[in-house]
Amino acid sequence: MLSRGIISNFRTPAIPFPTTCKYSISDKDLESRGFILRRTISDLNLDHLNSVFVAVGFPRRDPEKIKLALEHTQSLLWVEHKRSQKPVAFARATGDGVFNSIIWDVVVDASFQGIGLGKAVMERLIEELLEKGICNIALYSEPRVLGFYRPLGFVSDPDGIRGMVYSRKQKKKK
Amino acid sequence: MLTRNVAAPPSSLCPILSHDWHFQVSDQLLFPHNLNPNLNRATRKIKGFRLKANFWESIRSGILKNNATQIVEPPSTLEEEEEPVPEEFVLVEKSQPDGEVEQIIFSSGGDVDVYELQALCDKVGWPRRPLSKLAMALQNSYMVAALHSVRKFPGQEGNEEKKLIGMARATSDHAFNATIWDVLVDPNYQGQGLGKAMVEKMIRTLLQRDIGNITLFADSKVVEFYQNLGFEPDPEGIKGMFWYPRY
Repeated sequence: MLSRGIISNFRTPAIPFPTTCKYSISDKDLESRGFILRRTISDLNLDHLNSVFVAVGFPRRDPEKIKLALEHTQSLLWVEHKRSQKPVAFARATGDGVFNSIIWDVVVDASFQGIGLGKAVMERLIEELLEKGICNIALYSEPRVLGFYRPLGFVSDPDGIRGMVYSRKQKKKK
Repeated sequence: MLTRNVAAPPSSLCPILSHDWHFQVSDQLLFPHNLNPNLNRATRKIKGFRLKANFWESIRSGILKNNATQIVEPPSTLEEEEEPVPEEFVLVEKSQPDGEVEQIIFSSGGDVDVYELQALCDKVGWPRRPLSKLAMALQNSYMVAALHSVRKFPGQEGNEEKKLIGMARATSDHAFNATIWDVLVDPNYQGQGLGKAMVEKMIRTLLQRDIGNITLFADSKVVEFYQNLGFEPDPEGIKGMFWYPRY
């Protein structure tokens, strides 16, 4: 069973962002383009968020359950489109707050893809987790977006470690 | 309470296991004895739940020689309408000819002594983690499952020896996803299906709490172990990824 990043608790993790400009797009740049970065669920319209999820192919989920999930999420980031006041990018991370965290529900509204919003959200989420001292940051990536996560620093199956998901349909061998 | 020289934030300490606990014996124990004992002693390949590739191997086959081993766990096939998994119950009960009885108890209530846990992690060869962080990690976990061995000696009522022999924990958002971490079983108790039973019970508890997406990351050597429990690697090509992993 994997629980990574143990020894590195004793070392400061190297942050791969250059010190002059921390992110690919600065907060200021985002704002000048009409986007606001948000880090809490206040003012987040869950129905709008759910629509973004559904539009990119997630199953439609009960908004009450989404609320419950967000209330038990350690870090989250979303981008608000100033003009429409709607969420157009989102990502969150769950974990034990010390060793491990997993990033879920990374989405960018289709109309706003390709301009760096996904990257903006991910870079900041990672930094927030690192600042908390969490060195093991994992996620599950669909095959078609592996190329999105790699430049951010993610490696798939490092050392042969495999992500696994429980399937109720799976036949269990005795 | 943690009193050792560890700088621990005051609010994050895990309560120490109380020693006068009593366990409920679930009526699921009253199953007929012709259950599949699953005592695969000699040929189990997957034993140690290793941490990472550049740490030393800790794979051992623990063979526990006992004269009368009775598996009392419920059948492990998933049924549609299930009894809820009790928070605590006896998985295995063994009696020695001298009357000593050892019970392996599963619990999902999180009653894990962090000192005992650290000793167990040492035993399986995992690198040391600060006690306070360990405690915090347990506290922040959605579910902490444990295996304890309780030995009772004949003629010594109330005198029992209890020790932690296994643990697994899961983090979760309480709604959709759960991820299982840190699965470990004392090497002396490996090879008996205890790790399997523990993870199985965890899964059932999670499903009963309506958490449908149960995930984990497995070292290549234990992928098969989890496959046998119903986990699928890279389902639909979905890949586990890590941020700048240290090898």
